[in-house]
Amino acid sequence: MFSLLQIAIRNVMRNKRRTAITLAALLVGVSVMVSIRGALNGLQRSLVQNVVSGQTGAIQVHRAGFLKNVLSSPLSLDMPQDADFEKKLLSVPHVKAVSPRILFAGMINVADQTIFLGVQAIDPIREFQVVPLRQATMGDKGLMESGKVLDAMVVTEQLQGALQGSKVPKDAPAAILAPDKDGALSGENVTLTGVMKLNMPGEKKVGMVHIGVAQRLLKMEGRATEYIVAVDEIENIPQVAAELRKALGKEYEVSTWEDIATFVKQAMQRQSMILSLVAGVFMILMLLGVANTMLMSVLDRTREIGTMMAVGVRRSKILGLFLMEAATIGAMGGIVGGAVGSVIVLALNARGISVTFPGSNVPFTIHPYVSASYLISIVALAGMGALLFAIYPAWRASRLRPVEALAGG
Amino acid sequence: MALVQLQGIKKSYQLGKTEVVALKGVDLTIEKGEFTVVMGPSGSGKTTLLNIIGCLDRASAGSYKLDGEEIGHRDFNDLAEVRNRKIGFIFQNFNLIPVLDVVENIEFPCVIRGEDRKVLRERTLKIAAEVGLMPYLKQKPDELSGGQRQRVAIARALVTEPQLVLADEPTANLDSTTADQIIDLMLKLNAEMGVTFLFSTHDPRVMEHARRVVRIHDGVMEDGTEAAAHEAGRMHASLGH
Repeated sequence: MFSLLQIAIRNVMRNKRRTAITLAALLVGVSVMVSIRGALNGLQRSLVQNVVSGQTGAIQVHRAGFLKNVLSSPLSLDMPQDADFEKKLLSVPHVKAVSPRILFAGMINVADQTIFLGVQAIDPIREFQVVPLRQATMGDKGLMESGKVLDAMVVTEQLQGALQGSKVPKDAPAAILAPDKDGALSGENVTLTGVMKLNMPGEKKVGMVHIGVAQRLLKMEGRATEYIVAVDEIENIPQVAAELRKALGKEYEVSTWEDIATFVKQAMQRQSMILSLVAGVFMILMLLGVANTMLMSVLDRTREIGTMMAVGVRRSKILGLFLMEAATIGAMGGIVGGAVGSVIVLALNARGISVTFPGSNVPFTIHPYVSASYLISIVALAGMGALLFAIYPAWRASRLRPVEALAGG
Repeated sequence: MALVQLQGIKKSYQLGKTEVVALKGVDLTIEKGEFTVVMGPSGSGKTTLLNIIGCLDRASAGSYKLDGEEIGHRDFNDLAEVRNRKIGFIFQNFNLIPVLDVVENIEFPCVIRGEDRKVLRERTLKIAAEVGLMPYLKQKPDELSGGQRQRVAIARALVTEPQLVLADEPTANLDSTTADQIIDLMLKLNAEMGVTFLFSTHDPRVMEHARRVVRIHDGVMEDGTEAAAHEAGRMHASLGH
């Protein structure tokens, strides 16, 4: 006993070479799409981790209005840097660590050169608890020694380059000049103890000092302009941000890494868009292959279609038969392609791919992965797409006139 | 009672820019249980006539009553239904479905109309035995000889218990021994089951057995009867068979 579906499956198996070629196209297409998606997922997760653990922290807390005026580094929009405030932040579930910073703009003078720079004042020990990847880029000896705060500054390679090339000797004396909280020009003597790499795009002429040095310079004892917050899992960031907003009230603004590193978010969206475009083109090419196979099948089997019509098969069933054949090919190609793609992604995940971002010389390893829902949707897309692209050939088959079909077209 | 009644059937179609008239007004009546042969040279319109009688094509003008019902103007799906219920086809090229085995090919017209599978299988096996296919039930068409394939086609034509079986040159692709066997088989089925057969053929052996021969020439019918059959028999004999 048999049904139309069984006939469809047998027909798919009948012309083995043609089916194999179509399946191979689908298989390669789907598995490549899955692999690329996996690689991009891994890349984007690494990117996020790089930003979150190397630059911004998962979440930042500022006084309300700070980010709008961030270019002028407003010292008036400050907040307490003390145990009470930190306790408030740390009491929110999933918060792992917090660290204060002061961001300000100023000038640095080395020998007879004075240039503008941006300064990040941090507490190194706690900073590295929130953004551990930073430790690798700047080392931990520059700002403190044996638990003692140094009057020291670590500069980026770009800043060092701007200061008479690389002729600036290690431990060169320098002076930082900046307007303090009240607007009066203030200065501090520091030693240039180290050079760091910045692994993210953005402002390049940056120096880093201990927060204690900045508080003295800016007359901001016990104050900070931002807190960076570490969260246990990336997935928990939105929830933690919401609870921090509730805990801190209107006086403060709570931003996630996405709000701050907007260029990263935008780059990720662009990548995803390009991938979708490439995937779309791939898919259409594969499905055109399916359509072609089905058209050839209709031409080859004209007499058979005529026979079926002669014994009383209705047009709708002829249409259904060819659609089923296409869907069978689509589903088979999709499932096998999805499986092969998953194996590739799993293998790459176990192995890891080493990547260096342009504009950075810090390599890191990405681990590709794909979600089950992506896999399901890509298999469904292959099946549905095959069905869609088979409509025309199947319709042509169903519109044949029995007499002409029996005569072989 | 008349099974097929054609009156003034005309058929023309476009071939490029010229209109070809294949049938110029055919009248034909076929009684139930007849074993009739349509004969005529290529291009005489006999295939067109069979296609119209088989509801595979529609006449341009005229009236066609099958079993007393006017069916000349039915739409495609209605005609599919008529073909499925009332007409069996036997083709020159056998036209079996390659992916189905012998039993499945025989049952195909009944399966698509959703018949009870158990009842159907009983009837199928009976017909398969009748046409001598019992040893080949699970074989695919490409594993069968021409004669065996035509037996499958005959069984497929009969399994629906049709009123009319149309055979378009059914022996043209068979060697003479096999052709004889196939003709004998159809004669036997005609006699035993009372199914009406309508043939088109060039084959004098078929004409020899026909109770009635109708000739078609240039789209016009010349109805001969016993005399024509007799003549065909003589012609057959003179050819040295």
